Formats: sequence, structure tokens, C-alpha cells
Amino acid sequence: MKHLLTSTIGALVLATGVAAQDIAIVTPYLAQPGAQALIEGFETRAAEKGWEVNTIDTAGDVAAVISRMEDAVTQNVDAIVIHIDPLQVTPGLQAAADAGIPVIGLGAGNDPLLVTNVTTNGYAMAAETAVYVADRIGGSGNIVMFVFDPFPPVQIRGVVADAIFGNHPDINVIDRVTPDVQDGGIADSRAKMEAILAANPEPGSIAAVWAAWDQPALGALQAIEAAGREGEGIVITGIDANPQARDAIAAGGNFEASIAQDFQAIGFKTADVLEETLNGNAPGVPSIYVPTQFVTKANAAN
Amino acid sequence: MTQLAFSDMSKSYGGTPALADVSLTLTGGRVHALMGENGAGKSTLIKLLAGVVPADEMRVEVDGKPITLRTAADAHAAGFRFIHQELNIVPQVTVAENILLGHAFPRRFGFAVDWAALRKQASDALAMLGASGMDLNAMAGDLAADDKMLIKIASALVAEPGQEACLYVLDEPTAALTGAESQKLFAVIERLKARGAAILYVSHRMDEVMAICDDVTVLRNGRHVMTVPIARTSKAQVIQAMTGKDVADAYPPRASAISDQVVARVSGDAGRLRSLFFDLKAGEILGVAGLAEAGQTELLRLFLGQGRVAGGAEYAGKALPRNPAEAWARGVAHIPQERRSEGLMLEMAIRSNIVLPHLKSAFASLRAETRDTLAMGQAVQMKMEGPEQDVGQLSGGNQQKAVFARALMGAPKLLLLEEPTRGVDVGAKWEIYQLVRELSAKGCAVILTSSDLPEILGMCDRVLVLQDGKQTAILPTQDLTSADLVTEFYDTESTPA
Amino acid sequence: MSDRLRQSATLLGFALIILFFAVRLPDTFLTARNLLNISQQLSMLMVVAATMTIVMVMNDFDLSVGSMASLAGIVAAVLFVADWPIWAALSAALLVGLLGGVFNGILVAVIGILPFVATLGTLTVFSGLALYISEGTTIFGRDIPAEFSGFARGGIPLEALGLERLKIPALSLVAFAVIAVTWVLLEHTSFGRKLYAVGGNREAAHLAGIRVVRVRLIAFALTGLGAAGAGLMFAARVASANPTQGAGLMLDAIAAVFLGMTMTKRGEPRVLYTLVGVLMLGIIDNGLTQLRVDSFIREILVGLIVIAAVVVAHVSKRRGK
Repeated sequence: MKHLLTSTIGALVLATGVAAQDIAIVTPYLAQPGAQALIEGFETRAAEKGWEVNTIDTAGDVAAVISRMEDAVTQNVDAIVIHIDPLQVTPGLQAAADAGIPVIGLGAGNDPLLVTNVTTNGYAMAAETAVYVADRIGGSGNIVMFVFDPFPPVQIRGVVADAIFGNHPDINVIDRVTPDVQDGGIADSRAKMEAILAANPEPGSIAAVWAAWDQPALGALQAIEAAGREGEGIVITGIDANPQARDAIAAGGNFEASIAQDFQAIGFKTADVLEETLNGNAPGVPSIYVPTQFVTKANAAN
Repeated sequence: MTQLAFSDMSKSYGGTPALADVSLTLTGGRVHALMGENGAGKSTLIKLLAGVVPADEMRVEVDGKPITLRTAADAHAAGFRFIHQELNIVPQVTVAENILLGHAFPRRFGFAVDWAALRKQASDALAMLGASGMDLNAMAGDLAADDKMLIKIASALVAEPGQEACLYVLDEPTAALTGAESQKLFAVIERLKARGAAILYVSHRMDEVMAICDDVTVLRNGRHVMTVPIARTSKAQVIQAMTGKDVADAYPPRASAISDQVVARVSGDAGRLRSLFFDLKAGEILGVAGLAEAGQTELLRLFLGQGRVAGGAEYAGKALPRNPAEAWARGVAHIPQERRSEGLMLEMAIRSNIVLPHLKSAFASLRAETRDTLAMGQAVQMKMEGPEQDVGQLSGGNQQKAVFARALMGAPKLLLLEEPTRGVDVGAKWEIYQLVRELSAKGCAVILTSSDLPEILGMCDRVLVLQDGKQTAILPTQDLTSADLVTEFYDTESTPA
Repeated sequence: MSDRLRQSATLLGFALIILFFAVRLPDTFLTARNLLNISQQLSMLMVVAATMTIVMVMNDFDLSVGSMASLAGIVAAVLFVADWPIWAALSAALLVGLLGGVFNGILVAVIGILPFVATLGTLTVFSGLALYISEGTTIFGRDIPAEFSGFARGGIPLEALGLERLKIPALSLVAFAVIAVTWVLLEHTSFGRKLYAVGGNREAAHLAGIRVVRVRLIAFALTGLGAAGAGLMFAARVASANPTQGAGLMLDAIAAVFLGMTMTKRGEPRVLYTLVGVLMLGIIDNGLTQLRVDSFIREILVGLIVIAAVVVAHVSKRRGK
């Protein structure tokens, strides 16, 4: 509350104060935890640098992102940071380019109008967990995949896992499930997994569950435990290493591994790259990847 | 006998005087009529008596003793009871509860409603009205209009310990009643008189007032014009006092002959309407009468396409219109009985209301609409600030003239008139009758329903009688009396005479 | 007198808001570039709000406009993917809007379901259809023809007026055209007169020979068409079609009409005042962004301003009676 008050009063009363660098962050996704972590990371580092940062959320409205970018251009900010697919906001990018204002992607996507895009390598994350699964089951057995093709960043994970499992002749993908995510993804994944378990009652008939993100992995874990089949050595992996997944991995059950994007580090890196850019040293590459951390029982509690 | 003296009553709204220095003395056991055109100050006077608006100036004495009258509670404590024209009962609640509505319900143990005592109080109140037969447990919404009125009067009669009612104010009590139902009400008024209460009776209906009232006070433009015993005055004198004009008779006589050309012909059944058989000639005025809800409105609205006639029916040589749009397009004009809910867009301009059925071309012309509105407004002698004034701001009579202006604008061949003068003051009534006569003279056929029997007899050439939807007679009005007509409303074959 | 006050209170508030921003943002707010920007940013909302006015004139409203906008964008994009010519895909999308509106009209006017219930239902249906047709994905990139998204970036250059590198955005021109057509329809045609009559008293309008069912059906169809048009403008502007991207338009459109209603003589919707309402919402958004007000606070402020305008209008109207 106090924060809200001070920021309103600050904004309304001191609006014309000129800071060292004026940066606008625009995103429609601020309500999502990943986006919040990214932006908080950026804001933290920006504060250290003494920048004035204005974070604008358009509550899911993509066209409003363009509008707010145009407003920021009008206001003549020093740089704009976006967290959205740049292909959807081309007019905003063009407006900034016309005004000579650099735009940098924070976990965004590639675009010639962006200075660069700082992110993690989604293909690499999927490859790491898929390879872990293949190795753990000795390159042989039945696998259930949980994927979500409608969302591009998740869709690419499924493609990579497909390729890796396809490269093992003895691995057989018995089901490729797209759960209903409206309830958060856990409940429906659990229901789908329970149906698959019922259809494959023999112990050992399912060797592993590979999930393109953590929620289906958690749902599958619940289904396996509820069916009393946790002793069969079914290997489960997820991606993102959210707190609930970390707990499950630390508990030492079937959920064995996930992979963490270090959102804060992406935010830090973006701020650092932006500082270099403003100093005249643009990175000159379309993407900058921040390393990920593979999470297993050994480091899940960290 | 109680003497109630209200003196020097004055009230202004925003500098405009609505009532100026009016005095009124009411005597127990006498019915005192309060008359005046709309806007004459009747409503304001009643509001002052009821304490719902504060008077600028007013002195009240009961039997020579001054009392304060500033709030509704003061009025109630003084023994004043009010019965308004709208039948605003609660339909989903029993008769007994409606009667006790607005009173403290009798209680047991301090909190539980004492239903037995409640029914007793309600039945006592009904007994005073000679209506002990009414079912206390019936839903009020299921009752006929006259019984609803009885409930409202009974509600005013509920005995409250230490609070004897000394004045009943009846504001247009017969507006929603048919002729026969009104007769019952008059019997009730006689009983109230006999109990020694004073009655202030507000009505637009001249004949009623002449029949049942003892004295009459006339207001005009917020001022007192005269107070006389009814026995010493005449209809014409009262009307002249109200309007300030000489009015020879209440209804203008027919001045032109009816043609032979048949405009409409109906024979057969239509829903609950049975045994219909009539034709209508150009220029003729046909009345439709009966007890309340005997099918008068349904019959008129056959010509708007509401209901189908099984048998033969034609209008202007073709089948009846299938909907109101077609009806208006074929020269049928309609004036609905519920002016406010069915007739007007109250929060819209007079212009919008009048030209509405006559919008023909794709693009609308404000200039042409304004011109037409002014012309029609003049034709019906409507008093307005201008065509853009909200129709809802007009007085009742002028609102009705706006509805007439709409109907007249298309030069109709058939005019459907439902209760054309309900809630309209005497002066405006006369003007409306004149308009109907003029239309008729131009060859427009008119079908008219009215619960005001003198109006039917005074205006119509023939009257069609309905008994619960069935056409039982069609009579020339010449030499017909109200009493003859009312007799026709009842099914004499099944009732032993 | 009090009517005057009621009518002008909102406009006065609007003027004060503009003055406040002009003083706080002397270099950037009242500039041709910013104002042209605002007109472009608001173009989609203008179209939805203008056509929403048509049903609100009859005391009805349409909650499904947002999801219809999304659906129209998706239909066009899917047809682009299927290699339909641009004009054919756009016509098909507009036809979907018209049919969706007619469907709303049938539910409300013919069957007689309350507009709130009927259009809440179709909101879900249209949104579900958009998700189903698109399989939940955003259609973008090469699938969207460059001529289509290029239109949204085009406009009439203003170099002749000495305004370098400025243009009247094409989307703004479309929005102004829609408002002009709606204005003519509502204020200068018999159809418009009938709409207001239906809003004034439906039963009386019916008895006065207005074909109420037909009038309502057409009005809902036009609102659906407007929503689809706005959806296409949206898709062109973001060069992509997402099955939920129009969702935000509905509440803003209704809010704009309500703001407009606080400024009219009898509190009835008028499309030019709806335009003022849209401008108020957009200018507040633009100014507060430039003032770097937290976006959540911005939402609270916008909501409070709408409520304040309606409360002032309501209270002064009651006083006036």
C-alpha cells in the first residue's frame, strides 16, 4: 500500500524530474511469475546503475504494448525493454527505430529491429532433460510425453525431445499428451496420467514421463503415487524448476530432475547489455543466452 | 361534527406558485369535491394535507384547535387517510397483508406476527365497507380492479387504537374502475359518511361529482375560485369555474352525416372474443363497452394485428393488418389506454414522439419533423415550450394531445381510441372531443373504448357490448341511458331477475 | 441549469485532465506526433465503442464484442494461411462478424433472452470458436501478408503541412469513417430515430408501428460487424492474430459509452459523445504512461474516473428532477 502511494504521488508530483537514464519496460504478461522474476532482476540491476525505470503492464493486451511503446518514444526515453514476441509489436519497434531509441528483448524473441534479445536457450533445456531421461532408462522403454504446442516457447521443447527420443530405436513414445491448462495444468495432467496408467497396468510398462514444463510432471507424479506405482522406477522430468517441483525433486521420489532458467540472471544480463549499448558498444548478435541450471535431488534445495 | 379548517395554504416550486392562499373547510359527514384542471393545484393541495411536501404557509385547525402538520406522521396522527388513484397493491401477497400494509403488524411475544389478529383487523376493516365476503387469503394480484380498490380503502380504515380517522382523501378513485365498479365505491363512500368522517373527493368526472358530493371547491391556476354546495350549482357552472370559459355541453354534438362506405367488417371469433359481428362506416364512431376486461382492448387491437379472427374480417377491402407497423402504414392510428407505458417515450422530445409512426424515407429531416410537430401541436392545441421539450414534462392533458397529434398526423382512415380522456382535465377533454368530431367529419372511422359511460353515450353513434369477450349487443346510442347500458353488461339470462 | 451543469461536468473534468497533462508534459503531450499516436492507438476502441453505441441506444448492450474481435482476426489469419486473397479473407471475417451479430440479435430480439445473458453466452462461444479455429496458437510472421499489416503502418503524409515524417494513420482514418457513418445512421436516418424510440419505450414503439424485432436484429448485426472490423484493425496493427487479443475492448467500449452518456441532454447515448469518452480513456492512459504512473495504479485511476463521471451525472440528474 505504502509502495503504491509513494509511487503514485511520486509519479504525479515529481513527474518531470530527469534521471540519468530513462528506461521503459513494456509487457502484457506482468501477472505471470516468470515475467515478474525477469523484470525484477532487471529493475534491481538498473537501480544499482541509478536508472529511472518505468514498468508498464498492458494486462494481456498486445496492441496496447505498441501504444505504450509509442508513448515511450514520444516521451523520448533512452531505451525500451520489451517482454513479448517482437513480431507482434513491429509498429512499436519501427517507431523506436525511427526515433533512434534502442529496444532490447528481455526473454522476448529475435527481430532485426531489436538490439539483441537476452534469454535462455529453450532448445538446450529440452535437450538436457530429454537426454537425462534417455540415459536413466538405458535407452529403452515406453515414454509418456506432456507437451503444449499452442505456445511457441513450449512447442520448441517438444520438438527437441521428439528428436532425441526418435534417435533411440528402443524408446517408444506411447502417448504425447496436451493437457488442458485452464486449471493450471496439474489437475488435468493428473487425470490424463491416471487414464494412461490404467491402460498400462503391467509394472515396468511405463519407463518414464517427460514433461515440457513442471505442472504436468507434478500431475503425473500425483497420479503415479495415487495408483501405488511409485515403486516401479518411473522417471519423471520437468522444465522450469518452480518451487513446487524443487520440493518434489528434493523429496527423492519419481520426479527426478528439472532445469532452472535463472530469470534474475537474465534480468541482470539484460541491464548490463543495455548499459554497454548505451555506451556505444552494442553486442552485435541477435541473441545472448544466459546459462541454465540442471536441478536434481543434489541441488534442488538451493 | 368534526370541522377541519385549512387556511391560507401556499406553496411555490422554484418561485412558481403552485398554490396561493387557498382555504378549505371540511365537515364530518359530507363529501367535498375538489375540482380543477390539471395543474390547477389539486395535487399540491393534497400533498400539503398529507405532509409529504412542506407548505410555505398553512394553518390547520381541528374543531377550532390548531395542530401542526409538517410530516406524513403528523397527518396520520391527525387522523387523515389517503387513497390514491394508482392501484399500488402488492400482487404476490394476500388480501389481509395488503390491508395491513403500512400499519404495524400485530405481534405476539414482541416479535412473531400474530396472524390471527392480523386477519381479524383486516376483516373488521372490510366489514366496515360491507365487503366481508372477500377471501382474506386470496392473492391480491388475482382480484378484479374494484376489489383492489376496496383493499386500498380497507387499508385506510384499519382501526388503530386511539387514532380515529376523521378525513378520507380519495384522489381519482374511479380512474381505474368501470361504471359498475364505481357504483360499489359510491356505496362505500356513503358508509364512510355515515361514520361521521369528512371526505375530500378529487375527480375529473363531472357526473360522478354531481351525483355523490355535497359541496364542491374549484381551483384554477393555484387559486381558489369557488366553494358551493352541489345542490346550488350546475355542471356548466362548475366547468365554467374550472376553465374560465363557457362550455355549453360536455360533448360536442355530431355535425356531419355518416357515409355509406364500409371501412371495416368483422364476423367470427378471435381468441376469447366470440360472436363478433359488426361493420364500421367511414365517419362513424363505434363505442365498445362492458365490465372491466371484458375484451374491449383486445377487440380494438385486432386492427393492430394482435389476435386473428377466425371467420371473416377485413379492413379497407383487404385482410386485417398483421402487425402495428402494417396497421399504421395502412392508415390505422392508435391511442393506447396506458399513455405512459404504452403510448409515449417520456424522456424523449415531443417531436420524436409525434413523428415516430410516420418516418418513411431512409434519411430523416430535422427541419421537416420540427415543422410537422409545430403544425400538429397547433392542430391539437397542445401547450409546449417547443418541439424539443421532453414529452414527460407536459401535463397529462397535453401528453394525451401529443398522442393525438401522432395519431392525426397521418390523416388516418381508422382511429382506435382507448380511454381517450383518462386523467385528462375538463378543458382538455372538450378539445379532445372536438378533435374526434373533426376527424369523423373528414370520414375517419373511430372505435372507442371507455369506462366513462357518459363519454360513450355522448360521443358514439353505436355501442358494441361485450360480456366476458362475447359480443352480446350492438345498440344505437340515441336515447340510450347509462342505466340501460349498464344493464346490458350483465348476463341477464343466467341471473334470475 | 442543473442539466447544463450535469452535461458539462464531465467535459470540464476532461478539460482539466488535458490541462494537467499539458502542464506536466510541456514538450511531449500536446504535440502533433503524440495526438496522431493517440488517435491511432484508440482507433480500434473507437470502432467498437461507436458500434456499441448503436445497441446501447436501445438500452441493450453486447458483451461479446471483444471475443468477436478476436474471432474475426483469427478467421482472417487462418484464411491468409489458406492462401485466400486478402480482400476475400477480410470479407469473410466481416461476414462472420455480421452473422455473429445476427445470432446475438436472434437470441435477444426474437427469442427474448436478456442481452446480458445472451451476449455473455456468445462471448464464450465466439472465444471458444477463436481458440478452436486457431488451435489456441497465435498466427503471426510470414502467415500474415505484408500488405495487410503494412496498411496499419500507412497513412496520409503531412509533409505538405510542414510536419516532417508525420502522417494521419490509416487506422485513425478508418475509425473516423466508422464514427461518421454511425453518426449519420443514428442522427440523420429514420432507422436511428427508431432505435432511440425503442430505447425510450419498447412497448410504445411497437404499438406506434416500429418493427422492434427487426430494428434490434439489425442493430446487433451492426455491432457485430463493427467488432469484427475492429478485430481486423487490431490484427493488422499487431501483424498477428491471437484468439484472445480483443478481450480488453469490451469493457473499455462500454465505459466509453457510459462516459458519453454523462454528457448528453437526457443521458442517452450519442456517438459523438462516445467518441469523447473514448478520447478521455485514451488520453488518460497516454498521459499517465508518460508520467510513468504504475500501470496497476493507472487501472485504478481510470476506473475511479469513470465511476466519478457517472456518479456526478446521476446525482445532478436526480437533483434536477
